[in-house]
Amino acid sequence: MTAKWIGKRMVMGTIVLLIVSFLSFFIMHAAPGDPATAFYGGNAQTLTTAEKERIAQAFALDRPVLVQYGVWLAETLTGNLGYSSKEGRPVATILMERLPNTLLLFSVTLFFIIIGSIWLGTVAGMKEGSLWDRGLSTFSIATSSIPAFWLGILFISFFAVKLGIFPSSGTGEIGGDGGLVDKLRHLIMPAAVLILTHVGIYARFLQESIKAESRHYYVMVARANGVAEKEIRQGILRNASMPYLNYIGMTIPSFFGGSIIVESLFSWSGLGQLTVKAAMTKDFPLLMGGILWTGLIVVISLFIIDLLMYALNPKLRKGGVR
Amino acid sequence: MKTRKSLLFWYAILGFIVLMTVFASVVAPYGPNDMNMDNVYGAPGDGHLLGTDHLGRDVFSRLLAGGKVTLTVASVSVLLSLVLGVLYGGISGYIGGFIDTIMMRLLEAFITIPSLIIILAFQTVMQGGMWGMALIIGLTGWLVTARIVRSEFLRLKEAEFVQMANMFGTPMWKIIIGHLLRNSVPAIFVVTLFNFAGAIFIEVSLSFLGIGIPPAIPSWGNMLYYAQNDILIGAWWIGLFPGIMIFITILAINFIGEGLKNPQRR
Amino acid sequence: MLDVNGLSIEVNGKRIVEESSFVVPRGKITSIIGESGSGKSMTVATLLGLLPAGAKATGQALYNGRNLITLSDKEMASIRKSAVFTIFQDAANSFNSSVKMGRQLYAFSGERTGATVAQFRMEMAVILADLGLSSDIFEQYPFELSGGMLQRCMIACALYVKPDLLIADEPTSALDMVLQKEFIKLLKRLNEELGTTILLITHDLDIVAEAAHEMVVMQQGVVVETGAVKQVFEQPQHSYTKRLLESRF
Repeated sequence: MTAKWIGKRMVMGTIVLLIVSFLSFFIMHAAPGDPATAFYGGNAQTLTTAEKERIAQAFALDRPVLVQYGVWLAETLTGNLGYSSKEGRPVATILMERLPNTLLLFSVTLFFIIIGSIWLGTVAGMKEGSLWDRGLSTFSIATSSIPAFWLGILFISFFAVKLGIFPSSGTGEIGGDGGLVDKLRHLIMPAAVLILTHVGIYARFLQESIKAESRHYYVMVARANGVAEKEIRQGILRNASMPYLNYIGMTIPSFFGGSIIVESLFSWSGLGQLTVKAAMTKDFPLLMGGILWTGLIVVISLFIIDLLMYALNPKLRKGGVR
Repeated sequence: MKTRKSLLFWYAILGFIVLMTVFASVVAPYGPNDMNMDNVYGAPGDGHLLGTDHLGRDVFSRLLAGGKVTLTVASVSVLLSLVLGVLYGGISGYIGGFIDTIMMRLLEAFITIPSLIIILAFQTVMQGGMWGMALIIGLTGWLVTARIVRSEFLRLKEAEFVQMANMFGTPMWKIIIGHLLRNSVPAIFVVTLFNFAGAIFIEVSLSFLGIGIPPAIPSWGNMLYYAQNDILIGAWWIGLFPGIMIFITILAINFIGEGLKNPQRR
Repeated sequence: MLDVNGLSIEVNGKRIVEESSFVVPRGKITSIIGESGSGKSMTVATLLGLLPAGAKATGQALYNGRNLITLSDKEMASIRKSAVFTIFQDAANSFNSSVKMGRQLYAFSGERTGATVAQFRMEMAVILADLGLSSDIFEQYPFELSGGMLQRCMIACALYVKPDLLIADEPTSALDMVLQKEFIKLLKRLNEELGTTILLITHDLDIVAEAAHEMVVMQQGVVVETGAVKQVFEQPQHSYTKRLLESRF
């Protein structure tokens, strides 16, 4: 059962990646100039006509678009993403340098958002009608209406320019040793901005699920029979966490979109900032690589969330539904 | 009753913002692109209500003109995604069965891709102006609408009055428009409102990054693009006010959306 | 043991139960009978201190001399935990679907009496076997068991905690005829062997005739007749009771 379920998820993930790859190929194809140049970027000038012809043949450039896509996909799968047209270095190498920063920001913010929203959502959801309950709804609507990057601008103007306690941008001091403490100091502001603008909606979703779950029949039965309140709450939380996890999965793509902009604002040298820069400088190979990797990260995150849901929900495991 | 009052309040706020921006050319004291090199980075007050920017342009006037651009882009894109979403979701929900399954799987796959990434990619190739921007946001924003329309259609198809209409031989298009679509309107309206907020977010974000609306046209996002540097020299007003406008507009939309959503909850 | 006196219940300003009085004597099976909407379930909710928001009860419900209506939430919770056990109508939804039965049964019974998990498992296995259930269900989830099995699990908990008062709110209406008969037999056994006082809420006269000693007839929020089952069946006083009895034959 488990194997079949995992297989199904993997097929789904592969389809997503195929769509993403087709999109990025489409961009390269639509890009001005000849594709060989697009693929080899700045190095193209140094190529001789004979070499260009060889490339054209290798990538089936004289053949229909679909064949070209196939050849390109095969090349991509072997890890060859081409060369950056601005830097001349292999795209894969550049992406690899940026990946840790993005993963750091992504995991730290998501960690605190989940911890924070579980805490807020549980407190508010378990006490229906309380000040917490009503307050959280308003708080979440208000915070989710703030554009994250604008909050970032305010933060920079206050904490960096006025008070000077945090650096306004970058991933580390230019002359610094690149140590962990330095990095964390640079991480605080972008992470805080993302957490503040997102924790509310997730907390609210959990709060609503808990309230809905608390109205279930079994909760009344348990309460009537003197089951310990702690036990009842644990049960409610366990069931409410399933729609909550699902919600996190559904919103991860847009959350990722938001983090791209925050990365750019704070010059946090991650994948997002790289992709934006590639788009601005029309560095197509780099842009395509960035898009593909972003797609890959999202697909993997969703897969992890699916696994968690699978572990939490016995109905799924026993093959009851879906 | 309390909800209705607050709903009216937010309607009024949103209405006010829309009116101010629509009549920007009448209300604004200066032209949005009138430069005055003698008065760059002027602080708020002193003839310029909200100060001036790095070219001596009046922030308040640009705010109104920029709002017009931002809200127009958002409206056009939302209309486009509304049409696409209703078509896709309607077809999927009405036909059902195997085709529905395929269409929904495809939709699920699309939803997984961060739309900002797709827009980013499109922008590099198209690099259009305002309308190109609206087109791209519209093309990527219909997914949730489609999902809602589809589930509404599936639900309504089973409803008694639709079954009756089928039995009486009501023509298909009449059932689709008169029954299915008409009864989906409340749900579609709510999702479209939230889409509108989302579209504002995207326009503002992209323009802020400098790859959205061309810098020559003022928009809320464009104004923030320059604000990045301006705040470093202490000109906080250039960044503060466009952000507040965005915040209040989206806040109003979100509260209206929540207010309309609530009575539908069972 | 339980002495209800002039109990009235209002939900959102509307009277659901009007000045009701009845007695549940110790060691007997007392049945409240009435149609749905007669206020039976609200009465039970009041006795358990679990009225929904917006509902208010007035009057007296003396349980061993303490008025349940005026007790604090905390005191009420302690009575629910120590003295009363309630079996509800919808057994299929009485358990949390994502928690294993073993843990839930323990929360319902063993934890109340302060037994350790190991102790509980041993004792509960005997009770389950007696009810025709294997102790394998400890490792199963509620959705893997049938409604009848789940209702027997509830009874097993009642047998385990040996409550002072057992309340059964329409316990059989979700079961088929055979299971109903079996369930009633179990209730009687509980009463005869352990002397448990039982308050049985039902709309089914057959069940009353089969199981109860005393009966309370409710109609639209009003208690219209009380008395020993035999006596009421032979000489019904109120016209509603007469109609009920006639429709039975």
